[in-house]
Amino acid sequence: MKYTGWILPPALRDFHEGRIWLKNHSPFLPIDIDKAITHQYFHILEGIQKNPFNKCNRCHNIDPELFTIFECASCQQPCIYCRHCIQMGRVSSCTQLILWTGPTAIKKRKHVLKWTGQFTELQQQAADETLASVKAKRSHLISAVCGAGKTELLFPTVHDALKRALRVCIATPRTDVVLELYPRFQQVFPKTVIHALYGGAPKQDGYAQLVLATTHQLYRFDQAFDVMIVDEADAFPYTFDETLQKAVEKAKKADAPIVFVTATPSLKLQQAFQHESTSFIPKRYHNHPLPVPQFDALWNYEKSFFRGKIPKKLKHWTEQRIVQKEPFLIFFPTVALMEKAALLFQSINKQILAVHAEDPERKEKVLKLRNKEIPGLLTTTILERGITIRNVQVAVVGAESPIFTANALIQIAGRVGRNKDFPDGDIRFFHHGITTKMDEARAKIIFYNKEGFSL
Amino acid sequence: MNKIESRCLLCSQPLKTTISWKAFLTKQFSPTICEKCSARFVPAQSTTALYQYNETMREYLHQLKFLQDVALAKVFRQELYTRFKKEKAIILPIPMHPIKQQERTFSHTEELLKAAYIPYIQLLEKTTTETQSSKNRDQRIHASPLFRLKAGAQVEYKDYLLFDDIKTTGTTLKHAIEVLMTAGAKNVQYFTLIDG
Repeated sequence: MKYTGWILPPALRDFHEGRIWLKNHSPFLPIDIDKAITHQYFHILEGIQKNPFNKCNRCHNIDPELFTIFECASCQQPCIYCRHCIQMGRVSSCTQLILWTGPTAIKKRKHVLKWTGQFTELQQQAADETLASVKAKRSHLISAVCGAGKTELLFPTVHDALKRALRVCIATPRTDVVLELYPRFQQVFPKTVIHALYGGAPKQDGYAQLVLATTHQLYRFDQAFDVMIVDEADAFPYTFDETLQKAVEKAKKADAPIVFVTATPSLKLQQAFQHESTSFIPKRYHNHPLPVPQFDALWNYEKSFFRGKIPKKLKHWTEQRIVQKEPFLIFFPTVALMEKAALLFQSINKQILAVHAEDPERKEKVLKLRNKEIPGLLTTTILERGITIRNVQVAVVGAESPIFTANALIQIAGRVGRNKDFPDGDIRFFHHGITTKMDEARAKIIFYNKEGFSL
Repeated sequence: MNKIESRCLLCSQPLKTTISWKAFLTKQFSPTICEKCSARFVPAQSTTALYQYNETMREYLHQLKFLQDVALAKVFRQELYTRFKKEKAIILPIPMHPIKQQERTFSHTEELLKAAYIPYIQLLEKTTTETQSSKNRDQRIHASPLFRLKAGAQVEYKDYLLFDDIKTTGTTLKHAIEVLMTAGAKNVQYFTLIDG
């Protein structure tokens, strides 16, 4: 006689645990999914909840403008779908979302922390405070200047949680940050299954106890994580998109603590966290003060570029960098202005390149600068955070533009002097009039230095 | 149906809606995409299509057909309306196979016309579930009949205008024209959104 029973494929459980997924988009065989449903291993949700108002059950979008109604050929009646998360596969009234409720994946308690670095006193203190907060299931804010070594001080907390068989997520608004963190965490936790999730990520097998993800990917999780860490918590679009903030809440278990990590905490964040659940590091790991931005007037720079001339001061600055063989980054407020300028800069040195958000060769170009194959790079705000280049010198053209908020300027200034062999460098704000945001950025940097070196 | 979009359907940037007298008196559709996005679509060179195929168009079709974002059918409603409003021939959108249509949950050619309030009828039926895009040029040209007449369809002595989303080798349109002409149509023309 043939065995006619059904055995749950472990891979199915490992994949679906914690995830909220479109039933017909599951990477597993429909027959296995149906069997799992008859075993009540899945909770089934309708795609769009209609009462009291339309709500997408995956991304929790409730904006009426982002729902479209149409005559559906599949369910033969008017059907509503959510346009907010459409890039992840359409959720409509007649699609079903499945949520794992079956046996849970086997979680390992043996995790190795392979890290030999040394914490500075301030880092150690912050790491201890964070660990204590997370152990007490209390949310925590780590506010540390650019280059303070924020990632490292998460290691003890993450390691402790993994050893307690908890599931940990490190989320960030930027794909670049996920890509940079992934190899680092793989190295530090060699015995742990880690998945990196972002738009266009390759398929990864097994049950990941540690997930690195963009905040967008969290739409696909539901009450999955015991510890949630939000890195670069002040970065676009997280701060502007309320559904992303809701996604973080939804992806974690109700009582799971959140650790916010940022260099430029918003007032709202600062006010939400008091005393014992805040760590503040005003000093870089190499114990040198932050480079303070210098203001330099570049009157009518826009006119000058459109007339086909690089403003004198900027040209001089660039030539100096090339002569002294220092890599440089020049930030521009708009892609259009940058492209205009790029042609002019190439007449100084042919190898100067330009990058913007939709540039497919973005990664390669940054790598070229890091490997000293090119003298410098023109960029928009996309490179404001997450990148580290030895001895880089930075100029901002049009620092008065509204796109350069105080936070953006602090982040940009934070690119300079990150290496302990080159702890200082030039950070120049070229402007057509000083704004309060420029003043605020500079005042904050000076304040951090004062805090860090008055102790 | 004719709601005013406050954000661009393609890039979600806020749309500046200025209600002009011209738009009001000539009953124009309100815009659904921003000027920046619409500048990325390149007008076609031929008279039988509206646009050329390019990267932006590829993304548009992907989102409409593969990601099933029906709302995008509205993007070209003004242009399609302008082209079709004085059309005397009977407009026939290229049909989908019923199974395919159920999978996609809508027929994109019909939705494009519906969004522009253009009346149409269906006289043809698709015979296969194969897609043209899965075949190479040779296979496309030598494909067995793709369409047949619907039962009881009266075709004779009338002018027709076929409508499809994209024309690449023209095989789909050729097959449809053949079926209609053999059934006694007076004249069959075609028009596509995109010239591939």
